Amino acid sequence: MSSLPASPRQDDLAAGHTVRRYDRELKTLRDIILDMGHRVIEQVQAAVVALIDGEEIQAYRVLDREPRIDYLSLDADEEIFRVIARRQPTAVDLRIVLALSRIAGDVERAGDKAVRIARQALALRDQVSAVDNLLDDDLQSRFRQLDHRACCMFERSIEAVASFDVERALGVFEDEPELFGTSDALRAYLSREDLKGFKPYQVVCLLTSAHAIERIGNHASNIAEQVIYVAEGKDIRYRNREILIETLRRKASA
Amino acid sequence: MSTTLDEMTVRTRATTSAELASGRESRETVGDVTSANPRMVCRHVDVFYGSTQAIKDVSLDIGKNEVVSMIGPSGCGKSTFLRCLNRMNDTIDGCRVTGSITLDGLDIYDKGLDPVPLRAQVGMVFQKPNPFPKSIYENVAYGPRILGLTNSKAELDDIIEGSLRKAGLWNEVKDRLDKPGTGLSGGQQQRLCIARTIAVSPEVILMDEPCSALDPIATAIIEELIDELRSNYSIAIVTHSMQQAARVSQRTAYFHLGDLIEVGETNQIFTNPKHKLTEDYITGRFG
Repeated sequence: MSSLPASPRQDDLAAGHTVRRYDRELKTLRDIILDMGHRVIEQVQAAVVALIDGEEIQAYRVLDREPRIDYLSLDADEEIFRVIARRQPTAVDLRIVLALSRIAGDVERAGDKAVRIARQALALRDQVSAVDNLLDDDLQSRFRQLDHRACCMFERSIEAVASFDVERALGVFEDEPELFGTSDALRAYLSREDLKGFKPYQVVCLLTSAHAIERIGNHASNIAEQVIYVAEGKDIRYRNREILIETLRRKASA
Repeated sequence: MSTTLDEMTVRTRATTSAELASGRESRETVGDVTSANPRMVCRHVDVFYGSTQAIKDVSLDIGKNEVVSMIGPSGCGKSTFLRCLNRMNDTIDGCRVTGSITLDGLDIYDKGLDPVPLRAQVGMVFQKPNPFPKSIYENVAYGPRILGLTNSKAELDDIIEGSLRKAGLWNEVKDRLDKPGTGLSGGQQQRLCIARTIAVSPEVILMDEPCSALDPIATAIIEELIDELRSNYSIAIVTHSMQQAARVSQRTAYFHLGDLIEVGETNQIFTNPKHKLTEDYITGRFG
């Protein structure tokens, strides 16, 4: 078989169109979603600081900044409509537009989780005078561990979106067992009958927060699935997910 | 069950001396070139215009009751290949076709075969509507009359009404059949040409950019018509409109520099093409 001409788009799946404005439109769309992603990471970090360290100001900042992420989500929708109407994308472009639409939804919902954590952080210390050391070292460490895992996954998934990088996306799935293990252990810890120092509503706040942090990791996995959909043209959601991920891992390491 | 790229690749090429002389081998076709229920079977078709090779070892089936669209950049050979299917290239001096093309198992390039009845069996609709400078009635009647398909005026009338109905034109022209065909609008003229093709009971209809001279409304009517005609005929269509290929066809073939690069279900070609050249072309990344 004769050699193919050099790829005009090189590494960027969204670039290389003859109509360069099309490249710019796809870049604008992706940049909005990356902006949303970075804001969500900041939101989650601030919300978890509010939860663990009791910094109320961080919780209020999270609540104040949330509408900006929602507006960006609307901007992303508008760009998606525009690209579909103007360009009628096909093949990889169609996958990019569909995937970015789904990713925007996941990023926006991850932002909602940060708000949920911030609200729980405020509710946890409601009507409590000494708030600084509400969570003992053990509990703080457990929350930090869960937050670290979920945030790493989310950050990596957003990095994968930046270049539709399959290897980075696969890296997100590698962290799933640890995320679930840490989350299960934390839930079990909070559900112990001998857990002292917390009122029932405070335990509910902590359980809700733990669940929200875990869900941020789930959103990261959903985003990684979409990156693979764009780059490989394979929809790995639901059906044979583990088998497909393993096949892609082997392919990536070969 | 998913199919791997390797399984889907069909090698259709053995390097010929002509190719060696031209310094370039043809490319393998990605995808399944065969049809479960083929009407026309093309194998290893090469077309030369003098010493220039326009088509390189193309194999493709046109199935019963399916629309196959052929897409590709200008000069890729899609129209040349289409014209091979009813020996229209015979009319071009210096054009030589090798390989095998059969219609229902019969070799259409058999030396003993008369191309005139073949062109009734494999009709053609061209880019620009080309009605005869005759009445609407005579445009449709010409083929059946010259081929001796009817014995009476009543029978001919039935064929004309049926053809115009199938072409979606009857209601618009039934009261002015004696008026010139050239007096119709562009879209109506193209449907008249389709009626003229249908009138001689073809098995296959070839369409070479049939909507490129039409406005969007006339185009939509022709596309709807193509979908209806599929239940009775096999259709091969060359189009520069990828959206049209995506809308009207069940299978799509992508040509590039005389090679058939990829064939596949239209949904697959437009959502997840296997060959990079196909993807670059349909996403507008070419050149």
